[in-house]
Amino acid sequence: MIKRLISFCTVVFGVLSLTFLLIHLVPGDPVEVMLGESASLADRAVLRAELGLNQSVASQFGLYLSRLAHGDFGLSIHSKTPIVELINTRYPATLKLALLALLIGVGVGVPLGIYAALKAGHWQDLVVTIVSVRLSAMPAFWLGPMLMLIFAVWLGCLPVSGMDSPSSIILPALTLGFGLSAILTRMTRTSLLEVLNDDFIRTARAKGLTERQVILRHALRAALLPIITIVGLQMGSLLAGTVITETIFSWDGIGRLLVESIEKRDYPVTQACVLLVALSYVVVNVLTDLLYRLVDPRIRLGH
Amino acid sequence: MLLHYRLLSGLLLCSILTLTACKPPSSPSDSINKASTSPEIVFAISQAPLNLDPRYASDATSERLNRLLYQSLVDFDHHTKPQPNLATWQQLSPLSYRFTLSEQCRLFYYPASAEHKAKARKLTAYDVKATYDSITALSDSPHSAEFSNLKNIVVVNERTVLFYLKAPDRHFPAKLVLGILPAELVKVKHDFAHFPVGSGPLVLLEAKNKWGLQRLDDGQRISLIEVKDPTVRMLKLVHAEVDLIQGDLPPESVRYLQAKPGLTVKTAVGVNFSYLGLNTQDPQLKKLKVRQALAHAIDRQEIINKVMLQHSRLGGAILPPEHYAQRQTLPAYAYDPALAKRLLQQAGVSLPLKLVYKTSTDAQRLRLATIMQAQMRAAGIDLEIRSLDWATFFAEIKQGNFQLYGLTWVGVKTPEIYAQAFGSDNIPPKGFNRGRYQDAELDKLLSTDDWQAVTQRIHQQLPYIPLWYEGQFAAMQKGIENYSPKADGNWDDLATISAYAH
Repeated sequence: MIKRLISFCTVVFGVLSLTFLLIHLVPGDPVEVMLGESASLADRAVLRAELGLNQSVASQFGLYLSRLAHGDFGLSIHSKTPIVELINTRYPATLKLALLALLIGVGVGVPLGIYAALKAGHWQDLVVTIVSVRLSAMPAFWLGPMLMLIFAVWLGCLPVSGMDSPSSIILPALTLGFGLSAILTRMTRTSLLEVLNDDFIRTARAKGLTERQVILRHALRAALLPIITIVGLQMGSLLAGTVITETIFSWDGIGRLLVESIEKRDYPVTQACVLLVALSYVVVNVLTDLLYRLVDPRIRLGH
Repeated sequence: MLLHYRLLSGLLLCSILTLTACKPPSSPSDSINKASTSPEIVFAISQAPLNLDPRYASDATSERLNRLLYQSLVDFDHHTKPQPNLATWQQLSPLSYRFTLSEQCRLFYYPASAEHKAKARKLTAYDVKATYDSITALSDSPHSAEFSNLKNIVVVNERTVLFYLKAPDRHFPAKLVLGILPAELVKVKHDFAHFPVGSGPLVLLEAKNKWGLQRLDDGQRISLIEVKDPTVRMLKLVHAEVDLIQGDLPPESVRYLQAKPGLTVKTAVGVNFSYLGLNTQDPQLKKLKVRQALAHAIDRQEIINKVMLQHSRLGGAILPPEHYAQRQTLPAYAYDPALAKRLLQQAGVSLPLKLVYKTSTDAQRLRLATIMQAQMRAAGIDLEIRSLDWATFFAEIKQGNFQLYGLTWVGVKTPEIYAQAFGSDNIPPKGFNRGRYQDAELDKLLSTDDWQAVTQRIHQQLPYIPLWYEGQFAAMQKGIENYSPKADGNWDDLATISAYAH
């Protein structure tokens, strides 16, 4: 536990310091973005001092860390809104979208992968493989508008974009979920095929278990580890905000907030978003580790 | 000089116009309680307003919206000449102006909040003073520098206010285009950015996921929603989720919308000037012949015909031909790659001439850059395109870290722009002379009011390559009326737009 806590702190500190350094290294600063070209040099200097940007990067970072330790994320430089407020409105939207996309990805990908593995070498396997390869090759900036065209414009059954109605989440979730399901289909198929040739499966069959019992109780459980790893990694990315999908569907999530803050050089917002993303990854990793233990007794027992 | 100012004062006196710009509600309670029977109009915009406090707003969206939420002392006519809006003016001396507020249309509307009911009150000269006093005191406003020449403001009575300047400024009235704020709210540092209180024809009721507006004279509701992606904006219009879109769409999408029977697409000429910026301190680009070669290496008419909106037109100078200070059409540099090549050889350039062109990540800008790259190849110019995120790109321009770049001047009103963009004293960070152009003869001309000579000199010396004024368009559902795109892209017609259920 202590080891995990230390690694958690190291990751978060590393991410924070790297982001802080990088965003201060790229050309352009918030003062230039806010004041434009007509501002006098004196006004620029005053604003730079007000924002603390006249101090060295090291002392700015120190100040930032000390505020963070007191739970103070600060204010957005541009909108003057408390950052906590911005995150409170944006992060739940990303969380909702990520969970639904994950549900679609797992709900479609794992059964299809099992089906393809069971029909390995047959035409059904070929069809599933082709579909999953095609889906994983479709970028969100293409798949999203295509889904809009089909479901919103042609069939007229879903809204094009926005967050106004509960059904608005379906198309962005499908855009993200389809990509995830394609990866999971291929991973489940490969993983299950490896397991299906193992001795313990032959033993299970020899014991007279039905094929359903063999697959669900024995084979799938053993094949789950790589699938959980992929799900964990993908969930981390989804929680980091899927900028393209959020932009296309006008979904006010954390990814859009992060990109907008980078464009405006709104340093405190960028820092807060990156911190949140890093924390999301760490939490998902911890949950993935716990799931490993639940699924595989060898890990639980320390073998 | 004195004669000149007297003449100007006389002209201004003669040109005092009656106010027609706004129609106030008959009484505050009428406007506050009025509910429109016509359906809400949904307007999809590409970029959300960043700041609705006119003292801070500098992005196009906020400025367009603020024109509807607030009223300014001065506005511009079709020839971009300053004209009275809230007030008429008189130049009393080179250093002083008197502004007299009209008796009409001067109501501040205060939307209802948790603390108080909606109310309205008269706009007075004290509000004018408070607004401009506050802006000169701000250090974090992009507009403060424009008013650094303001010495003090004196209220004579409720309707009259005097502006005293530190130095003569012929264009001073044209600068008074900021929305006027209520004095008592300025005093308590009210958050105008999120809760605007103005005297414009529209009032903001909601600014959470959308910007909910209500028109004061008939209660018409208008919603602004941000849809960044151009394709999605177009699909939302086709699916009738929105009623209106304007600008920021590739020409092929506009043509697609024009073919849709349920939609109306209106186009208009534009005044926003696109140009190719040159670093005139670059060893190659400081040679006039090289700059001329670049001008002859781009087939601008072909680009306009093939990949730009209808009503786009060739550009000769920052100010369009219909501007009062322009009054001349400058001859275009014809596309002639052979001549361009000869000019480069005469300049002693070994071909191909390698140049780096910096641009933003905007898809249309990249497309235009790619076309220019192909056209320039025929003239012996090897153009390398580098696209950068906006903040990085603009920082590079200001630092002079470029050879060529593409940008557009938006919302330019006064001929002072020539001094700011090409005056030797205005090299960043002091001004907009991004190309670091230094020309003593031009500086001399800039100190006069001879804008014809100034533009001719610029056109001849080519500190930039003029490209075009991009056309404007608005696409709307068939039931939408009284809305047309404007040359500078403003949304002023939201004050008159109407919707019929169909």
